Amino acid sequence: MRAPVGRPQRMISGIGIWALFFGVWVTASGLGLVNDLLVPAPQKVFATTWDLFFARDFGGDVLISIGRVLAAFGMACAVAVPLGVMMGAFPWIEAIFAPFVSAWRYLPAPSFIPILLMWFGTGEAPKLALLFIGVIFFLITLIMDHTKTVREELVETALTLGANPRTVVLRVIFPSVLPDIVTAMRQMLAMAWTYLVIAEIVASTTGIGAMMMRARRFLNTDEILSGIIVIGALGLLFDLAFATLHRLAFPYLRTR
Amino acid sequence: MTDAALEIRAVSKRFDLGRGKSVLAVDGIGFDVARNSICVLLGPSGCGKSTVLRMMAGLETPTAGEIVIGGRTVQGPGRDRGMVFQAYTSFDWLSVRRNVEFGMKINGVAPDERRERAARFIDLVGLTKFADAYPSQLSGGMRQRVAIARTLANGPEVLLMDEPFGALDAETRWLMQELMIDVAEKTSTTMVIVTHDLEEAIFLADKIVFLSSHPGRVKQEIVPEFKQGQRIADKEDLVSRDGYGTLEAHLMRLMREEGRGQP
Ligand SMILES: Nc1ncnc2c1ncn2[C@@H]1O[C@H](COP(=O)(O)OP(=O)(O)O)[C@@H](O)[C@H]1O
Ligand SMILES: [Mg+2]
Repeated sequence: MRAPVGRPQRMISGIGIWALFFGVWVTASGLGLVNDLLVPAPQKVFATTWDLFFARDFGGDVLISIGRVLAAFGMACAVAVPLGVMMGAFPWIEAIFAPFVSAWRYLPAPSFIPILLMWFGTGEAPKLALLFIGVIFFLITLIMDHTKTVREELVETALTLGANPRTVVLRVIFPSVLPDIVTAMRQMLAMAWTYLVIAEIVASTTGIGAMMMRARRFLNTDEILSGIIVIGALGLLFDLAFATLHRLAFPYLRTR
Repeated sequence: MTDAALEIRAVSKRFDLGRGKSVLAVDGIGFDVARNSICVLLGPSGCGKSTVLRMMAGLETPTAGEIVIGGRTVQGPGRDRGMVFQAYTSFDWLSVRRNVEFGMKINGVAPDERRERAARFIDLVGLTKFADAYPSQLSGGMRQRVAIARTLANGPEVLLMDEPFGALDAETRWLMQELMIDVAEKTSTTMVIVTHDLEEAIFLADKIVFLSSHPGRVKQEIVPEFKQGQRIADKEDLVSRDGYGTLEAHLMRLMREEGRGQP
């Protein structure tokens, strides 16, 4: 019953389910079962995507969106990695920051949009701030929890080899949790994309989300669907990039 | 084997369990570990062996008494007392060679000397062919060899081991025990080894310190006289010697006496 499925079978069924999805979509559009103003045919969406990139400079919007995600996510990591590791390594540091960090996790980041707009105006700052707030508290918590799982024997071994606390953190605890940190970053990057789209839809004139909102005003459903596809593709690409990074950076995890 | 490398002087350890409760794990223990000797701490499980060893390492602080190494009172962990745990402690992100170099590296030993010493100790534990492998590619016994080489390469005055072969299968355990005799002979390192395995104790020990349980006290110090001051390099040889059986029976009786007192 729970026999594992081979690679070829998985490929075929994976492609199959998508073929079925597009088959239904093409047929429904072709037979006129759906209003093509609201649900354009897939071939039209793909043609529009092509057109957006090569005739209408959609690439610029995409780059802006990517830039925002990377900038905000990079800043979040720059704070969360050292802070999370220190909180996980030293209970007294956890005691200082944990009450603050865990409270913030219950505040939905989008609820800050109005105040961020008032504080930062309409430039890049409010978007970056939203992504930063949306991601950082979860990232800190994940990294702290992973750091706590580093086995005490490893720390004690280093101490009996003559390590001081600083050396223990830098040379034992940090390298030991690094693979988990990269995994946490991979998970949180997906969340950053979600906040990016929210920010661009609510308050932006540039970026993928803004393009989609412009398209809505002119009833260009094909462009909206193009935007969704591009966002999905980018999310997938970044996820693959992180998976590859993980595989290349930690070869010792692959043995056995 | 003249002077003491390590003196345990009237050491007690009380663990605070919170809510005003505490447990006396170790009660006024005192004994000496002679320089270049192998001292085995033996006793039923829960009698405080690990606690004593961890106090020697400086990982726990005695509630009373003191532990003296080379004339100084132990204040905390330090490179003069290397420790090997039962659980695997290899640093998985480092190759075998870099694991063994770790202690020397953090203590500022020059790269050339570091490499040379690492190679020597990797050879001593028979892992030269695996020097560039990652620990996750090795068997359990090989990983313990890495831990032993890493500790020895750091040049400790005393090697502390807490049931180092407890997780290994019987055959690997023999090999590791024989390896330890070989290492002790070649490096003249003072060793304190914790075990609850009688055969292992008799094989490795120049002196056995038998602890009684709840609280841990020194019940008896035993020198395996039948070895006549010589270490025996071969396990088979050991068990066929006159006197081996008598000593094992004696230790078994001590174990049983202690076992009866257990809750
Ligand atoms: N950190 C600790 N906190 C509370 N009690 C402890 C702690 N470590 C050991 N003990 C208690 O001390 C006694 C001796 O433990 P231990 O030294 O681990 O024994 P052994 O190594 O001989 O099995 C046991 O009763 C154990 O429950
Ligand atoms: Mg123990």
